[in-house]
Amino acid sequence: MNIHEYQAKQILSRYGINIPKGGIAYTPGEAKRVAQRISPQGPWMMKAQIQSGARAEGHFLEKSAGRQGGIRFLTGRKDIFEEAQKMLGSTLVTKQTGAKGKLVSKVYIEQYMPCERTFYASLVIDRMIPCVTLLIAASTTNIMDMAVNEPDKILRINLGLNDKISACQLDRIMDFLKLDGKCRKGLKSFINGMHQAFMDLDAIMMEVNPVGIDVKGTLTALDAKISFDDNALFRHPDIVQMHDDYEDADRVLKAAKYGFQYQEFDDGSIGCIVNGDGIALTITDMLHNRPEQMACFLNVKGGVDKDKISAGIKIIMTNPRVEGILINILGGFLRCNLVADGIIAAASEVGLNVPLVVRFEGTNKDEAQEILNNSGLPVIMAETMEEGVEKLLKAMEESD
Amino acid sequence: MSILADKKTKVLVQGITGMQASFHVKRSIAAGTKIVAGVSPQRGGTKYGGIPVFETVKEAVSATGATASVMFVPARFVKDAVKEAVEAELEVAVTIAYGVPIRDMLEIKAMLRGSKTVLIGPNTPGIITPGEACLGIFPENIHHSGNIGVISRSSTLTYEAVLETDRAGLGQSTVIGLGDDMIVGTDFVELLKRFHQDEKTKAIVLLGKLGGTFEEAAAEFYKDLPVKKPVISYVAGTAVPFDYKMGYAGDIITRGKITAEDKKEVMRRAGIIVVDSINEIHHCLQMLKGKE
Repeated sequence: MNIHEYQAKQILSRYGINIPKGGIAYTPGEAKRVAQRISPQGPWMMKAQIQSGARAEGHFLEKSAGRQGGIRFLTGRKDIFEEAQKMLGSTLVTKQTGAKGKLVSKVYIEQYMPCERTFYASLVIDRMIPCVTLLIAASTTNIMDMAVNEPDKILRINLGLNDKISACQLDRIMDFLKLDGKCRKGLKSFINGMHQAFMDLDAIMMEVNPVGIDVKGTLTALDAKISFDDNALFRHPDIVQMHDDYEDADRVLKAAKYGFQYQEFDDGSIGCIVNGDGIALTITDMLHNRPEQMACFLNVKGGVDKDKISAGIKIIMTNPRVEGILINILGGFLRCNLVADGIIAAASEVGLNVPLVVRFEGTNKDEAQEILNNSGLPVIMAETMEEGVEKLLKAMEESD
Repeated sequence: MSILADKKTKVLVQGITGMQASFHVKRSIAAGTKIVAGVSPQRGGTKYGGIPVFETVKEAVSATGATASVMFVPARFVKDAVKEAVEAELEVAVTIAYGVPIRDMLEIKAMLRGSKTVLIGPNTPGIITPGEACLGIFPENIHHSGNIGVISRSSTLTYEAVLETDRAGLGQSTVIGLGDDMIVGTDFVELLKRFHQDEKTKAIVLLGKLGGTFEEAAAEFYKDLPVKKPVISYVAGTAVPFDYKMGYAGDIITRGKITAEDKKEVMRRAGIIVVDSINEIHHCLQMLKGKE
């Protein structure tokens, strides 16, 4: 689960990390009042609160929103109302949002912090060791590109689960960034604050980019992003409260409600229902060789509740982009007959108007096949995954 | 012969009184598994389907001599359950649950370091040695005893790999799902090592997928083996674009850009037979069989 910049900053602030004074606004009038409260003279930063990186380099779909991106530097008091009016209700497109962009429904107004220099800091999980790894870079441009093209420009420090950062680790960062000695104390509490928040709140990624350093050597989080482990949210009801439903597509939300994973792709017309993301990847590979593409898939994981499975199947059946459905279930924990019941329940409610190919294997396979055969639904059965893909493509061609 | 579990392995079930456990325990017993004890807090001293139930793993071990555990405990209790298994010095522990918090897994991995326990999972179908022992939730109708070892990083694709060995007219020595989660108890290397020591296993099917560097580690280990058994591998995710939303950004930042093609290439160079479609595995197995 992801949260907005302003929420991430509030969390960091609770862990002793400096953040610029700021406030959230849903209307231009509110923006004006917030700006007045946090810094009567300015200048200010106004930042579109959508969950995406590279907001500054993004652009708005609407001409009325102006040519600038989603992060704007403002000096005059009257600019606040005007710029908030431009951004609010407009659609911001960034490298990460896709061409459709995201609707900006709130802006965050901050006091502008003059900085002498900036750097990149984040905490991630290195799954192979496994441990929590601190990443530091002098440059604050795209970290992904840097990781791929210039990996030496990133300093990686593996942290213990409960240990504070050691003096020697701190030396390495000071050295790597060539920081002035006056920053050392602040850097230590900054990193320890991030690490403590990361562990306490079951984060899986925490990025402060950039960290700003002012003339006095004080460190401030100028932007912040935190992702949490969905499987640990039961320990953090306060974090769950921060979830912004508008950030997720309807279908993703619905699937999540039943504990399923739903993923949509930019192209393709085939919808898949699987139990395990490995099958989804494999079907994607098979379609790719044809060449065809998957529009979306639903992973019902080890679900064992017929009603939930039926609700999940409906998510795929009612997706207007889906022109053919492939259900591939390899039952172990999940019993195939439950899925068969789910298919019938879903089809009787929303109708089955596109070709449906089903491949069952494993627990209660025979029973499941019999249920579908007796249902009167025009279901095409397949014995293998490859055959399932072939039969679906053929049926889709014929139904054209 | 087999690895990790056979007909002599004394198995205990943690969380035996749960609803899902009862369905799968019955099937495991039918599959030949020697289930000697159950563990369920506050149910100690009772019997469950004729199996004695204990309060703790330690008690169950000292009373029955169990050396392996299969856990049907919910995700949020997995950490405590593994702790018990490790402290009781069990040789093998299998965690079926999916959705174990990552922080718990970091702590579990720390517990496992230097311990006697091999943890399989979480989010795995478990371990099955057909006809001898099933520690997990494998479907009963697809496995046959034979001499192909199967290791998979994708739970459900494990069954697909098993079906491929069936299609080749071969059976399985032992089948293991490493688990689908970001952090799992055991990697390919440990199991490749064991399969190479197992006389019955003649060849190994290894299923990888995008994310992490498990396949690279397997290739590195395999490359240096003095005596190599044939390994056939498929890596899921070739058609998935690099900026795939399902992936974890931390992987890229810590390890750089690693595609399924990269993984396949590293394995090929190490002498592993790599196929582009999962349904090609049985052709390769048939060819190996022909050579014998």
